[in-house]
Amino acid sequence: MLEFLDKSFAEPLRRLMALLGDVLPSLFGVLTILVLGGAIAYLIRQVTYRFLNLVKFDRMVAGTALGTAIESARVFRSASDCGARLVQGFVWLFIILLALSASGTPLTEDLVSRFVAYVPDLITAALVLLLASAISKFLARSALLAAVNAQWPAARLIAGGVRVLVMSLGVVVALEQLRIGRTALLVAFAILFAGIVIAGAIAFGLGARDLVHEWLRAKSKPEPGEKEEILRHL
Amino acid sequence: MDSFISKELLGRMQEIGSAEIVVGIPSYNNARTIGHVVRAASAGLAKYFPQRKSVIVNSDGGSKDGTCDVVLAAEHDTDALLLVPHRVNPIQRISTPYHGLPGKGSAFRTIFAVAKQLQAKACVVVDSDLRSITPQWIELLAAPILERDFDFIAPFYLRHKYDGTITNSIIYPITRSLFGKSVRQPIGGDFGISGKLAARYLEKEVWETDVARFGVDIWLTLTAIAEGFKIGQSYLGAKLHDAKDPGADLSSMFRQVVSSVFGLMETYESFWQAANGSTPLPLFGFPFEVGVEPVAVNVERMIKAYTQAVSDLREIYQSFLAPETLDALMACARESGDAFRFPDRLWVHTVGEFAAAFHSRKMDREHLLQSLVPLYLGRTASFVMEVRESNAREVEARIEQLCQVFETEKPYLIQRWRADIRKEKSNVGIPG
Repeated sequence: MLEFLDKSFAEPLRRLMALLGDVLPSLFGVLTILVLGGAIAYLIRQVTYRFLNLVKFDRMVAGTALGTAIESARVFRSASDCGARLVQGFVWLFIILLALSASGTPLTEDLVSRFVAYVPDLITAALVLLLASAISKFLARSALLAAVNAQWPAARLIAGGVRVLVMSLGVVVALEQLRIGRTALLVAFAILFAGIVIAGAIAFGLGARDLVHEWLRAKSKPEPGEKEEILRHL
Repeated sequence: MDSFISKELLGRMQEIGSAEIVVGIPSYNNARTIGHVVRAASAGLAKYFPQRKSVIVNSDGGSKDGTCDVVLAAEHDTDALLLVPHRVNPIQRISTPYHGLPGKGSAFRTIFAVAKQLQAKACVVVDSDLRSITPQWIELLAAPILERDFDFIAPFYLRHKYDGTITNSIIYPITRSLFGKSVRQPIGGDFGISGKLAARYLEKEVWETDVARFGVDIWLTLTAIAEGFKIGQSYLGAKLHDAKDPGADLSSMFRQVVSSVFGLMETYESFWQAANGSTPLPLFGFPFEVGVEPVAVNVERMIKAYTQAVSDLREIYQSFLAPETLDALMACARESGDAFRFPDRLWVHTVGEFAAAFHSRKMDREHLLQSLVPLYLGRTASFVMEVRESNAREVEARIEQLCQVFETEKPYLIQRWRADIRKEKSNVGIPG
């Protein structure tokens, strides 16, 4: 009976205790890293925010493409807030990797090493997207202002087209960097881009035929009675 | 010597030694008109300053039409033309390419450097496309400096009521209401400058900015005012010049001039915020009535530009204009044809809010100024319709009325100018 009890309960219990004895310190270590790391990340965010305010970071980036991108995203309260949260994000990433590494299992170690190897690609892709967002916004606004000052009726459409095109290019480059659906993505983008160009050419050819005709006629010979503006602004 | 002065020019200046008067003529492809300007300047120097050693300097931006040859070849028979004896000191002429950013400002820098090197007492600058310049212009611009110790003489012209719209709607009112001096033509282009002031201009580090382009005229004027130099005006009659400035479209011209003004508002912030009211300036010369060239204006096109901008650029305007200003701009856009009006107070608030946004860098400055162009066209259209039936005196009274609104609303401009910066300073609380 005693032998039966030992085999049925005591032995598995000993094995469980031994297993827990192996795992618990690692688990405790992981939890400690996460709790302490979280507090440190929060503190680092506060310090970074104060520092960025001190050096007038908001004013430095105001009006630049980066500042405009941060403002238009409407996620952060200010550029300093964005910077501080970005730093906090990086600290959190480091803490999570540290915690996974501290667990010491082959699976997590493999996961960590693969992730670490992937980090440069992730950073590059994120930067590409951020840059594409800023550039697309800037170019779209430039196109909008130029089109409005030239009094083109479809100014907003042109600006939207510029933004979509530049952003699409950014997304393709970012995904290419992350090695996600490389071939399919490139083919899809090429088809889309070629389609836009052909559609634009056809639309312009058909829709603007009269406009171009009028424009060329006006350029070559002014309408009788049409007054040329000679306003001297200065 | 400065790096922008070529060896050839330096050698030529060493040959000449010194001069009391330097007449500078900036040019770029002005072969058709510059001969007349050089002849007028030569005649003016010969008639009014026969005993003073003088030099005419053409600072050229790389003309391809033989402008420099015309300058050196332009002749006049002084004795026959002006009935004066042959002068003791022949007038020297220099034609030299300038270095730096292409534009009038870079041309002026070279002229000022020549004036400084030759220790000139007076430096007169005149545009190369003038058709109405007479020899007396040289006297009117140089004599107050040589004989009455003035440092800066601005031109005072008679112009058609639709001419000089940037001057009338922005530049003159700002110069007057903010900087406190009634310089009627702050960007006239033809100035008399003392040797001392020319040397002071050269010391400034602005020659790689928009000042080097179209913004130089207003920069010269406002710098002279803000730095306390003695300023006057000379009545020159009508200003007739080439209708279009080659290569200068409205957007870039407007951007450079207004950017210079807003930039100077930053440079001399404490000066203009402390200045109260405005004082008239001494006017030299004999005012006379003269016919001016009519100017054709396409009002419909300007209103169309304004209406489109208020609709298409609404999001841009929303980011820095006060809600009530934007609402008022939208309300104006709902009127069309002869009913369209852009009230003075709204215009003053709009300009002030753009200046404040420029100051606080709320968005890219070039974009900001580009977005002001269609609003300016709307304001111009409104002005043109208001004064369609008015004579010159009534138009001047209308401009005076606008200037008074600028002066009355100056506290609002100051408040907006300071508010945006204060908002940034207060934004230091830590978000949760």
